[in-house]
Amino acid sequence: MQYTLENLVIYPLIPEMFIALMAMFILLLDVFLTDAKKKLVPALSILTLLTAMIISFCAVGDAPVSAFFNYVIQDSFAAFSKGLICAAGIFTIVMSQRYMKGESHLGEYYVLILFSILGMMLMVSANNFLSMYLGMELMALSVYVLVGYQRDMLRSSEAALKYFVLGSLASCMLLYGVTFLYGVSGSLHFSDVAKALSHHEAQTSMAVLTGLVFIMAGFAFKVSMAPFHMWTPDTYEGAPTPITAFMSVAPKVAGFVLFIRVLHDALAPMLNEYVTILSVLAVLSMIIGNLAAIAQRSIKRMLAYSTVGHVGFILLGVISATEEGYTAVLFYMLIYLFMTMGVFSVLLLMRRDGLKGELLDDFAGLIHVHKGYAIAMVLLMFSMAGIPFLGGFWAKFYVFMSAFNAGYTQLALIGLLFSAIGAFYYIRVIKYVLFDSEREAFNPLSDKPLQAVLVLCTLFVLVSGFFPDPLIKVCQAALVGFI
Amino acid sequence: MESLFFFIFSGLAILSAGFVVLSKNAIHSVVALIFCFFNASALFLMLGAEFLAIILILIYVGAVMVLFMFVLMMMEVNFEKLREGFMQYLPLGLMISLILLMEFAAAAASNIFVAVTHKTDPKTGEFILDEVTKNIIPKAEPLTAQVNNAAEIGKVLYTQYMFAFEVAALILLVALIGAVVLTLRTRKDVKYQSIPKQVRASKADRLRKASL
Repeated sequence: MQYTLENLVIYPLIPEMFIALMAMFILLLDVFLTDAKKKLVPALSILTLLTAMIISFCAVGDAPVSAFFNYVIQDSFAAFSKGLICAAGIFTIVMSQRYMKGESHLGEYYVLILFSILGMMLMVSANNFLSMYLGMELMALSVYVLVGYQRDMLRSSEAALKYFVLGSLASCMLLYGVTFLYGVSGSLHFSDVAKALSHHEAQTSMAVLTGLVFIMAGFAFKVSMAPFHMWTPDTYEGAPTPITAFMSVAPKVAGFVLFIRVLHDALAPMLNEYVTILSVLAVLSMIIGNLAAIAQRSIKRMLAYSTVGHVGFILLGVISATEEGYTAVLFYMLIYLFMTMGVFSVLLLMRRDGLKGELLDDFAGLIHVHKGYAIAMVLLMFSMAGIPFLGGFWAKFYVFMSAFNAGYTQLALIGLLFSAIGAFYYIRVIKYVLFDSEREAFNPLSDKPLQAVLVLCTLFVLVSGFFPDPLIKVCQAALVGFI
Repeated sequence: MESLFFFIFSGLAILSAGFVVLSKNAIHSVVALIFCFFNASALFLMLGAEFLAIILILIYVGAVMVLFMFVLMMMEVNFEKLREGFMQYLPLGLMISLILLMEFAAAAASNIFVAVTHKTDPKTGEFILDEVTKNIIPKAEPLTAQVNNAAEIGKVLYTQYMFAFEVAALILLVALIGAVVLTLRTRKDVKYQSIPKQVRASKADRLRKASL
């Protein structure tokens, strides 16, 4: 390909360019707005994300289109994940309204959310190790700042610093792994790397294996697989709650989609090697995530470990490396998005005078105070635990089935076992909500947008539990052109 | 003669890099790092990459390292405290670094790193990979005087790497916003002079008629 203007295709990246321009526009606009009109900033951010989501759905055709000299690719796989990421961003902005009230520099908060979403969208579209890394850094840098946004709180700063140091280390590892593959193939494009790795000498060489291990470790950090999850609980606990919700969904979606793309497009010849590594990571994640969550008193920490557990389950789909497996991964992330956002909106609604609503005890006797929140919480927790017939059940079901069909019977069985163990701590929350007596004087908020998010998420989990087939169809359609 | 200089510069670079890690005084570490950068830039010069050599000194020595110095001198970092528990973590750290060293040695000895320069189509610049050729170690050769470094870098930077260049600019913007957001704070206990407020002030704000 010659590097001429005719070969420079830019239209597949219109949603990204739109977000970038709007983020910069909002950054400037915020300076000129008076305090009374500051509400315009989140509204405009939501509008931006909605528009970008619609454009990226419209822009996608049947065949994948590559842009910017093959540095990025736009296909339905990317468009679907961009939809998920933008949806997570919209939920986060809605949830932030009340929580962040009173913080200074709120305009930049929304701009940083937009930039992190931009980074994630570039990640899921990456077709080259360079664009992959840059997208990741754009996302990570914005999220580091968002985590530490409440500067006056020591916990928030500590969380941000921890996340920053470990995240940079992970980036270094990833980059180091990429250099090995570059040394072997002489190119950063995924397809060229795959071509170089298809030779027998390359597959068995120590250099490629070392590179593979480093890349795996880097990704494992980013999506918090055990044993690279150490930062997760502290960061989740210290970050502002809407950002915790954001972090537990959007970067995971972007990370997994990118991971699948790297594995499928660049590292496919190394299937046996990477499956071995990923199996160990998956089993560890399921064990550590589900067992450590039992010991937590803070619900944010509990959800952090539960994320690690869910990441373990999602990995089963990645390991099967079949169309069925990848469909299951997408479906899992779709359901997980709504479950998590729902749970976090309950958490935010529990926040009241001085109390953060972040301890398990704070949920005691919720049913006596606010029936609606209690029912939503019960449904969401059952779904997280994978009780039929709720969305979470089908998510787990398809992942286990794909692992089973791909011949990883032991992994599927381990997954089943730990999903049963994990059900314990979700159901414990339900016990607090339904059967304990009220311990603190409740004064639940009634915040219309938050309640709308909660109702939407709960309904989604409920409906997807009874009618999972249309959603599965959508996820299958998302893989057309990728596999 | 050339290899003599190569060994001098690279040897000094390695020595000074070792000093960066081992030195007890952080300021000495920074100075050693600057020395290391100078050696690396000399290596670039030997390859005829004068633009990179100058950039390395201008940016890393001129800006980044000076900033490092500032930070180290402004902040009172208690290095004794940082060194606590050094012996406790030493065995684990040593073990990990030994394993890594062995991995890297094995990787370097596996001899499959191909020469990138031999692998591109000269006409279209497209990447071709026919077979993984063994035992071709990339040979770094000095560029001829006709090659204009800065122009060549510009040619690829604004064509092939345009996307990466643009995204890197966005990353810098985010870093800028982040740094300002995290550090800018208006302290309540300090009196500030607000020029816009002073300019906007009118008679009605300040003057009050009191009837006696």
